[in-house]
Amino acid sequence: MSFYFAIVGTKDNPIYEAEFGTSKQGGDGVARFREEQRSMNQFIVHSSLDIVEEVQWATPTMYMKCVDKFNNLQVSCFLTAGNIKFLLLHDQKADDAIRQFFTDVYDLYTKTLMNPFYEVDMRITSGVFDGKVKQAAKKYL
Amino acid sequence: MQRGDSLNSPFVPFSPNPSIQQGTPTSTPPLKHTLSSSTSSNLRYSSSRKSIYDRHLNRSQRSELSKASFAFLFGEMVQYAQKRVNGIADLEKKLNLHGYSIGQRLLELLLWREGRSAKRETRILGILQFITTTVYRSIFNKPADGLEKSRDNEDEYMLIDNDPMVNSYISVPKEMSQLNCAAFVAGIIEAVLDGCLFPGRVTAHSVPTEQLPAKTVFLIKFDESVIERESVLG
Amino acid sequence: MVILSLLILNKAGGLIFQRDFNEGLKKLSSNDYLVLAGTFHGVHAITSRISPVRNSGGGLEVLESDRFRMQCFQTLTGTKFLIFAEPNQPNIDVVVKRVYELYADYVMKNPFYQIEMPIRCEAFERNLVAYIKPK
Repeated sequence: MSFYFAIVGTKDNPIYEAEFGTSKQGGDGVARFREEQRSMNQFIVHSSLDIVEEVQWATPTMYMKCVDKFNNLQVSCFLTAGNIKFLLLHDQKADDAIRQFFTDVYDLYTKTLMNPFYEVDMRITSGVFDGKVKQAAKKYL
Repeated sequence: MQRGDSLNSPFVPFSPNPSIQQGTPTSTPPLKHTLSSSTSSNLRYSSSRKSIYDRHLNRSQRSELSKASFAFLFGEMVQYAQKRVNGIADLEKKLNLHGYSIGQRLLELLLWREGRSAKRETRILGILQFITTTVYRSIFNKPADGLEKSRDNEDEYMLIDNDPMVNSYISVPKEMSQLNCAAFVAGIIEAVLDGCLFPGRVTAHSVPTEQLPAKTVFLIKFDESVIERESVLG
Repeated sequence: MVILSLLILNKAGGLIFQRDFNEGLKKLSSNDYLVLAGTFHGVHAITSRISPVRNSGGGLEVLESDRFRMQCFQTLTGTKFLIFAEPNQPNIDVVVKRVYELYADYVMKNPFYQIEMPIRCEAFERNLVAYIKPK
């Protein structure tokens, strides 16, 4: 079971992306996408942005479960207060685990934002952030 | 992997072609990596190896700040802006910009602190209530004094503060009587609105009365798109 | 509490604030006030040198006559606050401290006030009048 995670900013610009595999049930945490599948991941995730924009006005919650389906893959979304979208591409349902993962990443994103030198919509290039996201993925996914 | 001066900008666009852009950011070397010597790379990490990710966001929630410290800092901010602009409108815009970056961060922080029950605001009244109570209380420890809808214009709302804390020690000289340093707070409000996708303009106007010589009204003017969307949502 | 008038002098002895709180006082011209301030500054400097009390540090503090009592408070930065009051007025110290507090608040925290220049801060005057002559 593999995951593709992306953070998209207010201008639909990508801020951060990562891939992981599941660490549960003997998985080794490495993403296993087929080669041609990998290049499609980014497209799938970004095309679901349209749907997110429609749905976001219908519901006041931050975690929107599954907003889009493509073949056998699902896209889940978490929308922050400042309209930053966390998108996760996955092939199996795991609502609660994904919600906890999103909450952790939200915590990390808010801390990144507290940096006075970091402006909204900037790329996140911190190695520490990357490490912590992967840690959260290992914990929940 | 060398990519020349595209490394210097944090706004480099991603490319879907894996041969140009390799996967995750950790494979991208940190900015200035190839340019700096090994001695200056020690400055990037603190010796205790702690980063901002180790601090808890609620750590400063209960702490208080002395009003005098803030007043001095704010006074310096006003003087700094005054040297770099010519004109009152520009000065208010600079103060607005200072408040803007604070508002962006405050919005995320406040909603994070609400925890699991956090709700995004989708209606105009909702977001204005959020600003009047939550945002104001977190900065000034009291809710704003009033919220009104303008009778003449559909897209104008007014937030009333009887005594803005930022103005408490400031006496504006007579030749600049149109200036209101609460433009800083107006910037905070504007950023909170923009972040929740309610674009508009927020300006501060002083309306002194007999009992309340420092009364300030924040005029919030939303864009047309907001009003259209509000009427579609019913 | 009857305070007759207040003068504030800057570090160099120049007059930066002057205000009367009692209508019965004789009005001097603004030039006279400047001369008064400068004279006092000089006297204060001299008295601090010839003080018979060792290590007293400051200069003239109180000047009393049968019509008035003048108290001078010098801050650590060299700014002098002169309070003129009735001769039998107690607790001028408290008044002086409060005026200093108002000065620190409404003059020093005002970004539009240039240090050592004449004080033209509306908030300072408003609060001063409210404190000294509460109606």
